[in-house]
Amino acid sequence: MKRRSFLQLSGMSLATSMLAGCRKGNEKLLPFLVPPDDGISPGTANYYASTCRQCPAGCGILVRVSEGRAKKIEGNPRHPLNQGKLCARGQAMLQELYHPDRIKQPLARSGPRGSGEYTPISWDAALQQLAEDLAPYRQSSSAGMALLTAPLRGSMATLTQDFLRHFPGATHLAWEPLHPEWLAEGMLGELGSPDYDIENTQYLLSFGADFLESHLSPVRYGQGFGQFRQARPTIRGRFSYIGPRLSMTAASADRWLPAKSGSEWALALGIARRLLQTNRQDPAAMQAAGLSAAEIANLVAAFDEAKVAEITGVNLADIRTTIDEAVSISPALAIVGEMVAWQSNAPAAIAAVELLNVMLGNLNKAGGIYYSPTSSAQLSSGYGDLQRLIGQMEQGQLQLALVYGSNPVYSLPPSSQFQQAFAKVPRIVSFASFLDDTSRQADLILPGHSNLESWGDIIPPAGVRSEVIGLMQPVVKPLHDTLAFPDLLLAAAKALGGELAQELPQNSYLEYLETDLTKRIPALSTGDSRQQLDRLLQQGGWFGPESEPARLGRLMPAKLPDEAEFAGAAEQFPLQLQIYPSINYYDGRSSHLPWLQQLPDPMSTAVWGSWLEINPQTAAQLGIAQGELVEVSSAAGSIQLPAVLYPGLRPEVVACPLGQGHSGGGRYAEGRGTNPLQLLAQLENLPQPRLNLGATRVRIKPLAQAGALATSGHPEGSYRRELLGL
Amino acid sequence: MTTEAKDIRWGMVIDLDRCTGCGACVTACQAENNIALTDQQGFAQGRNLQWLRIERYWEGEFPHVRARFLPMLCQHCDDAPCEPVCPVYASYHTAEGLNGQVYNRCVGTRYCANNCPYAVRVFNFTDPSWPEPLEQQLSPDITVRSRGVMEKCSFCIQRIRRGKEEAKLENRGLRDGEVQPACAQTCPPGAISFGNLDDPNSRVARMARSPRRFRLFEDLGTEPSVIYLKGGGHEHPG
Repeated sequence: MKRRSFLQLSGMSLATSMLAGCRKGNEKLLPFLVPPDDGISPGTANYYASTCRQCPAGCGILVRVSEGRAKKIEGNPRHPLNQGKLCARGQAMLQELYHPDRIKQPLARSGPRGSGEYTPISWDAALQQLAEDLAPYRQSSSAGMALLTAPLRGSMATLTQDFLRHFPGATHLAWEPLHPEWLAEGMLGELGSPDYDIENTQYLLSFGADFLESHLSPVRYGQGFGQFRQARPTIRGRFSYIGPRLSMTAASADRWLPAKSGSEWALALGIARRLLQTNRQDPAAMQAAGLSAAEIANLVAAFDEAKVAEITGVNLADIRTTIDEAVSISPALAIVGEMVAWQSNAPAAIAAVELLNVMLGNLNKAGGIYYSPTSSAQLSSGYGDLQRLIGQMEQGQLQLALVYGSNPVYSLPPSSQFQQAFAKVPRIVSFASFLDDTSRQADLILPGHSNLESWGDIIPPAGVRSEVIGLMQPVVKPLHDTLAFPDLLLAAAKALGGELAQELPQNSYLEYLETDLTKRIPALSTGDSRQQLDRLLQQGGWFGPESEPARLGRLMPAKLPDEAEFAGAAEQFPLQLQIYPSINYYDGRSSHLPWLQQLPDPMSTAVWGSWLEINPQTAAQLGIAQGELVEVSSAAGSIQLPAVLYPGLRPEVVACPLGQGHSGGGRYAEGRGTNPLQLLAQLENLPQPRLNLGATRVRIKPLAQAGALATSGHPEGSYRRELLGL
Repeated sequence: MTTEAKDIRWGMVIDLDRCTGCGACVTACQAENNIALTDQQGFAQGRNLQWLRIERYWEGEFPHVRARFLPMLCQHCDDAPCEPVCPVYASYHTAEGLNGQVYNRCVGTRYCANNCPYAVRVFNFTDPSWPEPLEQQLSPDITVRSRGVMEKCSFCIQRIRRGKEEAKLENRGLRDGEVQPACAQTCPPGAISFGNLDDPNSRVARMARSPRRFRLFEDLGTEPSVIYLKGGGHEHPG
């Protein structure tokens, strides 16, 4: 051992004493409504505010706590994002706290990798091992270390930055599969996070954006949608959806335009053409964006209704009516989403829809889109960064990988080579709460708190028009012997000593969070800051005044999207596979929660498994019946899934939800269903590398045996619709 | 507007034009009412215990296809077919118009479920189990039903009771909208409203006068307390 490492490690005794600081519970927990005698009375529940972490949206929650135990999660009515409402995933976060298969203490691997054999160790030993692992990379420019996280915002972003600054060679990859990196790459991406004013618009056009399920902020937009339909006395908002699959969001539309995969943009250009022809565009907005009407008219000249119908494969009458409505009903709002973004021609296709919104004059206008910048730190990486890291791992350049809040072994397709490259990393440290697909590969597991036991600040990435910092506070005492990741970073900084310890002198993440929040929240720097913070924690966060809307600068001239490309030869693989985020499991992070496993999928009503959706015509041609097992093959691999006959799908498309097929994650997730990412083949020569979940060709073969498909009720519904008078 | 307890007839209005089918209400109900988990085999046998389910109906064929959602729960009928068939008076009618279910009277004949045209009563074929420490999530306000007992939506009677107690402490009647079942509280698009149908000015009573109103199987004469409002936009031939 080098003298330097020895000295660093001798700081461990200090770190041991500091662990006590990390373990401090929530000393002052102020209920959302202060009870008359401010004490625990048996049988009376208190509500404490915190923030949901089941998807990046960041809704405010109230946790009902009775006799020291969390009982139920509800929406926080004061939070400007979700205003008291909450989705199924958010409510199921309770089961993450009380899950029987949580990791209860630090673990060191004792069997071969992936075997799941671990020996419990003490936190002192675990922290010493972490400090030993980190020591060689301090102040060293060798690229041997990487931290893998989900995209981070707020204090977690600054803390990891402050920490990693002392590891100059380290790579920080902040990536998750559904992070809308495509949104930032669009024409309007630099304006900040969008908030679609659905509730005040009159005509809504969704270009493959499933905003009621997974797109950006589903609870916020679900709420807006309810108002859009029925909150105005004389106006019922009208909604059309264009995309190859009738998703749950599309099922709520008045008209579904079943366009070919990757062709939705043509409708946007068709509407743009008609706007210019009828002179209904917003000239001021176009001038501000530096767009010339003549140039655009030239660009879209060919896109008459017949051409749009031809490109999209939708019948002419529906295209004509939709264009008529979009130009004559005002305000009209277009939302572009994942089903467009996950195609090879995405950047130009997204730009086409954004161009339409600019021409409709929708920026920062009632019934349009509000963009507001945030002052909180943000860290996120692109798929390209990930590919570079995979290359480094492949070549054996990476010696140490730290994984926090991310499950890349599950959420990356094997065709990305991640899994085999990750196996080559000699030392893997995980901060997971469950033995999931990735932490099963780890050599050392330092289990984190569950969300209801944690401190934190959550900045909603979309759906608000003011600065919002949602706060998380521990509403119950930690159930197991766990420690939060940020506390471990601070403890490791102490253990390693030197400049790192001087720059991160805080004894706990709570102290760090307070300091960091004081920089961002003006109210905290006046008067008694602790008292002010208590007040913010009580109401669930800091909800600032409406921000100055971002102004639109000059836009790049639009160009026509190319035809969408698909990985795999059309002769060999005649069908296209659309992988979509499940409303129950998002990207797979919630599949370990039994309430969500047994919540019927809204469209297929399937529970406890995964399935392949096939158009009934296609199924009849191939001789496939509901529930029958089929083999799905692509250039990348082959899996077996039970078939669901799904009338709301183009005949050449099959679809499969993301989220099942874990090799870990506890009794409710492990070995359940199949991960469709195994089929994902990589598209070559893309200008921007991305995980394109809708751009793989497949073929299917019936296996003439029943698959494990359980649905809630009859596939057609329990009663005949006409009997009900629906 | 405040009301005395004797003037109450609880009712629910579900606006199908707002409902998106997302299932937030289903999980809210399960969490609020200590509803036991059902595994895959249980679902295959039709033994799901959820009190509230979303029916999905396909309409038409590709490309003119659409799907419709219908949240289905106990309709709390005024002339409830489930009530007279119970030999032990486990299912009974409360003064406020609820179809009550007394768990410790129930002997498991399942006559009530057989007689329910809406198929919203669920039967505990096995004792429920929550692997430790999952049982800590159970609400202390509600019993855990054992094997052999029929159960169903209660319009969150524990919330109604709590609301009344709080109102009584403050020496006033219940306010409109003060009591919310878990499903209505969480519904993101605000499709579910709950309140007193006997108060002509309550939100549900006003909504129940909508021209879009209908009730399920009206011709059976069950007089449900759940009123649905039709979704609009029938543009495609069904």
